[in-house]
Amino acid sequence: MSGEFAPRQIVTFLPDINNLDKRSPAQERSSPWSRMQKKGKETETAQPATSQTPTVSKDQIALFRNSVRQNACVEMLRGGFHRSFSELFSLLQRWKEMRLAAGPGSAIWQHKSPEEQPAKLHTLQHYLTKAETALRAGAWSAVYDQQVFLAQYFREPEDRWLSCHFYQTSLTSARRVKIDGGRKEAEALANMGQVYMDQGQLDSAREQYECFYQLTAGRAWSGEGGRSLHSQACEGLWRVYTQLADRPLQANDYRAAIDTLSKAFQMAKEAGDHRIEGEAAYRVGLAYQCVGDQVTAKRFLNMYMEMSTALGDAGGLGKAYKAIAKSLESEGKLSETVQYLEKFAEVSQGNNQYHNLEEACMCLGVIFNSRGQYERGCTYFERGYEIARDLEEVTLLQRAQVFVGSARAYSMIRKYSRSVETASHSDLLHLTGWKECRENVFTDTAGSAAAAEGKI
Amino acid sequence: MSSITRSKSHVSALTSAINPLANPRGAKKQCELCQNHAHLQCTKCRVTFYCDTEHQQADWVGIHEKICQLLIPIRTATPFYSLQADRDHHCTQILHRQEELIEISRAVAQKKLFEGKYQESLPAAQLSLRCAMDVYGPSAVQLVPAYLLLAEANVGLGSLAQAEGYLSQAEWTVMKTPECSQTVRHQLHRNLGRLYTATENLEGALLHFANDVYYASEEYGLDNIVTCGGYFLMANVFIKQEKMDIASSLYTEVASTWHSHLTKLLETHTPGSMMLEHSFDEAQQAEADQMLRAMLKVQESNPKQAAAQNTLVAHSLAMLWFLGGSPDKALEFGRKALQSSQLVPDHSLTEHIQSLLQLAAERGPHLTIAS
Repeated sequence: MSGEFAPRQIVTFLPDINNLDKRSPAQERSSPWSRMQKKGKETETAQPATSQTPTVSKDQIALFRNSVRQNACVEMLRGGFHRSFSELFSLLQRWKEMRLAAGPGSAIWQHKSPEEQPAKLHTLQHYLTKAETALRAGAWSAVYDQQVFLAQYFREPEDRWLSCHFYQTSLTSARRVKIDGGRKEAEALANMGQVYMDQGQLDSAREQYECFYQLTAGRAWSGEGGRSLHSQACEGLWRVYTQLADRPLQANDYRAAIDTLSKAFQMAKEAGDHRIEGEAAYRVGLAYQCVGDQVTAKRFLNMYMEMSTALGDAGGLGKAYKAIAKSLESEGKLSETVQYLEKFAEVSQGNNQYHNLEEACMCLGVIFNSRGQYERGCTYFERGYEIARDLEEVTLLQRAQVFVGSARAYSMIRKYSRSVETASHSDLLHLTGWKECRENVFTDTAGSAAAAEGKI
Repeated sequence: MSSITRSKSHVSALTSAINPLANPRGAKKQCELCQNHAHLQCTKCRVTFYCDTEHQQADWVGIHEKICQLLIPIRTATPFYSLQADRDHHCTQILHRQEELIEISRAVAQKKLFEGKYQESLPAAQLSLRCAMDVYGPSAVQLVPAYLLLAEANVGLGSLAQAEGYLSQAEWTVMKTPECSQTVRHQLHRNLGRLYTATENLEGALLHFANDVYYASEEYGLDNIVTCGGYFLMANVFIKQEKMDIASSLYTEVASTWHSHLTKLLETHTPGSMMLEHSFDEAQQAEADQMLRAMLKVQESNPKQAAAQNTLVAHSLAMLWFLGGSPDKALEFGRKALQSSQLVPDHSLTEHIQSLLQLAAERGPHLTIAS
């Protein structure tokens, strides 16, 4: 009791205004003021004799009193970085506008404001001021570097707009770099093209990539990873043209699609990458197929086939065989079709692509069926059925079942109906025997007969 | 100058000695400016008192000339009304007039400040403060603008201690009202910045100007002429620190903002041939003139500066004076702009300048005849 009594004497009724440490705990929650005092306390313990009240500088006060955004802005302005300030300010403003325009319930409504993410804000501040320092010195390439860094920093999907903004500004600063013959500009254009591709603005992306292509034509610049910028430009253009062709393809405007795809093919060729060249050739081939020009289609498809073989790309090879088979089929060259389909099946099996294998089997079955070789058709269908069963896909399985059933029925119908028609004693015995045990009494002979007929 | 001498001749006719017996007992008459015992009164309104003719003159020039008649209803005793409704009506009427008076005196003080007449702006600023105190009480946030005016005038006069006093009052009031508007904060920081510049605390000045620009941008937007004022003041600080590159980049910003603002004004107003002064606050005009002139001067003393910026500033000045209704000055600056625009490879502005010169020349003779 006495131990408790002694300190009570010191406590005055009102807290001593000079001694900021002895505040009541109620006041010492996490208000900015109390946090500041804690900071003050630390300094006071370091040098207790010199100052009773902690001296806090204006900057420290501002740190607690004002928002992160204001502190960042003020910090930049103090250094005279008014361009950085207005850029940051307008970006934050734009975010707010975008959010309001999107309305509550949209994705951006859930996102955290950049203002509430000090790390991002500080990064922006740091690199913007660095860029402006470089700008004052007239070093545009340094400005470009900072802006590209910022653009790469904001990778996350919710910050895409920031990335896009900085790629855009980096393009304008890259245009000011004179001494490197336009290399930075080319890089910036490539970046912008990529941004537009991501946004789905294919026409803008095409413009950027075309400029990029022109700038890099005849230059031996190589980017990171040793790849030449020109081949990058070609690849970019290939990608753009390929995607651009989708629209006319969907509208069944095959002529336009072929034009665009041919451009893509040219670009792929120029890029010197066999993989994309083959891919481009395949697409051109498919487009010609749609028009009905099977000869040209086959030419391109063969190109693809050769490249896939060279690259050892079994999937591509399968695709090529399948497409060629389709061309041949529509030309009516059934035996060649069968040849290619068998190759397709073989490649698919070797590559464990069971879906493709199943498809090949079904196609072969259909072709043999249509030629009256029901027995062979039936075997292929059965194989397809087994694969579908192993894949455990009900739709495929059902389709195969129907085909197997109908093929078998076709294979039996001739003998069976003959038996019914003649209705001799032995035939009737056959029929009743078949009805009882459902064994392939008719098929065996009928199948071979049909095969014999087919040959004739 | 002529207005002052003219008003001086009026002054003697405007005062008369107070006859103590003519006033009610106990009501001590105080000087309008120094609150000392008064011996004179204004004969026009008879509700304003002065200790001597000097103060009377100062007040007349400063503000009284504009508001003499407005003071009468405010300062005369409330007449007797038998109905509560009438009394309430009278009260609101008076309040309304007082608010009006605050606004007028503020505008007058502001304009004088921009013109650099610091001493003359003091009476108006004081009146504004006193009225605001009457209406809103002694510690309301509405007093801050008046404090700021007084501080600015005192900074201009070099009496920094007084300015600091007023600014501390203002800062304290703002600190106590967290919901106070961005405008007030921006003005407070601008004045604090001015004070710090005057006391050669350049880092502190920069901090306050930075805050000023921040608040102004929040309130008015980034490329507004108000925000621009903060940039200009910052640039001056950077010049003092001899960081010419920063200052010139800030000047570029200011010049382009004003230029685009004035171009817009000119475009919207050229079709109507009515007088254009209404589009422009007088105080703003004075501020713009002062800023742009200063920039032109700095740039001319710095020959390596690009002529493009000179063109921009001179053109802005020409437009400003044209809009302000004095084509002669517009012509003068327009010619200057044209001259420096010849030195720039990019001739996009030349056409605008020439058309402005033409306009000014057309309007010029009219005015000379009128005056």
